Amino acid sequence: MKKYALKRILLSLFTLLVILLVLFILMQLMPGSPFNDEKLNAEQKANLYAKYGLDQPVIVQFFRYVGHMLTGDFGVSYNISKNTPISQLIQTRLPISIGIGGMAVAIGAIVGLVLGIISAIWHDTFVDTIATIISVIGVSVPSYVFALALSYSFGFRLRWFPMLFTAKQMFSSSVLPSIALSMFTMASIARFTRSEMLEVLGSEYMLLAESKGLSGPALIFRHALRNALIPIITVLAPLIVDLMTGSLVVEKIFAIPGVGSLLVTAIQSNDYNVVIALSFIYSAMYIGIMLIVDILYGIIDPRIRLAKKEGAA
Amino acid sequence: MNAATQASGAPVTETAVFRPDDFKLKNNADEIRVDTNFVSQSFWKEAVIRFRRKKSAVFGLIMILLITLIAIFGPGMNGYTYSGQNLSQKNLAPRVPGIESIGILKGDEKISTTNGTYVVNNYKLKNLSNVYYWFGSDTFGRDIWTRTWSGARVSLIIAVAAAFIDMVIGMSYGLISGYFGGRVDNVMQRILEIANGIPQLVVVTLLLLVLQPGMLTIIFALMLTQWIGMSRIARAEMLKLKEQEFVLASRTLGAGDFFIIFREVLPNIIGPVITQVMFSIPTAIFTEAFLSFVGLGIPVPQCSLGSLISEGFNSFTPHPYQIVPPIIVMSLLMLSFNLVADGLREALDPKLKEM
Repeated sequence: MKKYALKRILLSLFTLLVILLVLFILMQLMPGSPFNDEKLNAEQKANLYAKYGLDQPVIVQFFRYVGHMLTGDFGVSYNISKNTPISQLIQTRLPISIGIGGMAVAIGAIVGLVLGIISAIWHDTFVDTIATIISVIGVSVPSYVFALALSYSFGFRLRWFPMLFTAKQMFSSSVLPSIALSMFTMASIARFTRSEMLEVLGSEYMLLAESKGLSGPALIFRHALRNALIPIITVLAPLIVDLMTGSLVVEKIFAIPGVGSLLVTAIQSNDYNVVIALSFIYSAMYIGIMLIVDILYGIIDPRIRLAKKEGAA
Repeated sequence: MNAATQASGAPVTETAVFRPDDFKLKNNADEIRVDTNFVSQSFWKEAVIRFRRKKSAVFGLIMILLITLIAIFGPGMNGYTYSGQNLSQKNLAPRVPGIESIGILKGDEKISTTNGTYVVNNYKLKNLSNVYYWFGSDTFGRDIWTRTWSGARVSLIIAVAAAFIDMVIGMSYGLISGYFGGRVDNVMQRILEIANGIPQLVVVTLLLLVLQPGMLTIIFALMLTQWIGMSRIARAEMLKLKEQEFVLASRTLGAGDFFIIFREVLPNIIGPVITQVMFSIPTAIFTEAFLSFVGLGIPVPQCSLGSLISEGFNSFTPHPYQIVPPIIVMSLLMLSFNLVADGLREALDPKLKEM
């Protein structure tokens, strides 16, 4: 297990380094430099280059760049808000995005589990059909369609929740975006729970538990659900990807001042520094979560641990 | 005969001579019984039967065919073009000849103001008695029907491209990695893991910094990100099959590596491959729509379903009908591909059905 974890960590770090290299090359390729001023003579330029370390070999510049990125020094924004440090821009926005993402995961996981369990217990019945239809729609319809539908019906028509995000009503204005974002999570967890539960319910140890006289909730929650839950961790990674892309659009629709909408604005206004900083943050978060999921899975399920060991040997 | 006796060590004294009546047909047609209850069927025939039994998959297939047909012929069905603007006829609600007389889709639209809600008919107000916009017109006076179906064309082209990428890049990568194994597999899998570690969102965003937004960029972005899932499945299937006897037989007969990979193994894993292709199509359609919604997709005046939704979003509280057609078409398209993929998975994998 330790060897496996170490291998995963090294690979993650290497991936991060590859991403940083790509970002660095992109930065070098970008047209124009801050020192394109005609008033500067050659000597002044050389001084400036020396001051910012641009006269050093590229490899030194790269590692200096890696150091800057890892310590959160992303440079300044050019277009969105001139000369503001990007870390400052992100600092206020990241908690909002993470809050809404977390809420979406929570809603999706709870509702998805309930739907999945219900349709597995009463499988091939009317209830199951309904749950299946809900989850198929949830998987296939993009989150921004839900966002628009929710914003129109509950925001514009019924006025139960604010249509746009306001810092004053932090909670009530996070409800609609969270639900819209959670749909995909909910649907995939429901689908996965259903098939896993069906498999567990058909297993022999369930028959044993039943013949020992167990029934009802104890059977479902103590015996079936515990075993069915393990593989659900594997669907977490694709869900996180969807949350990231989904958040861009959902944040735009609800005018949420989060990281996703910042990225959209940055792309549209060609603010390279911000785009690159956010790309790095997204990648780092993604790689980190994937790493945790992988290692967690190895810890929880001994079969995986053994399989990995055999595979490594 | 000869060889057998020689092998046993006995000396060969005479050779056997076969006479014509040594071999006779037994004429046992009466004895042979073909089981008519469980007629043996080819794999594909059975797959079609299983597929047709699944109602939702058939529905999905019909919807895909229908949308494809309208996407091909729809834009030419009325006099409008996808980019033709007519500012005097902007923001008109849907109005369809024929069914307008029974009271729906006659061009009425509800307007909510501070004085309350009332119904107006802009066609009557502007004296456009002979003008029909089947899905309404947008803020520039363009026909939404034509634009929706031109947009659906873009989505379908992306779908075909995604399927092609999956088949060519992903499948080949997985098959080759799995077949050769050892060091080749190790290197290829490490590359895959690194590629998989970079979020698709980031790849696409960075590509757009370098390239011009447009169809080719989107397809290129898909090419860089879409192949991973497929290559994993192809590799797993290859690992299952490559030790089997028919591969050994083929190799003994002198088949080369690539003959074995693509002519011997590939036909045997076509089920999971097709299923995976179908599942990757909705993702591709979504990626395009998402990029267009963010403003990085197909450049104006061309349109895609995503860019139409993005445009409709800007005026969706006063004129909700503008955003409805592209949303419904795209949702239906993605739903249908998912349903068909589900059906195919069950149809092509009999083991799954038994579970």
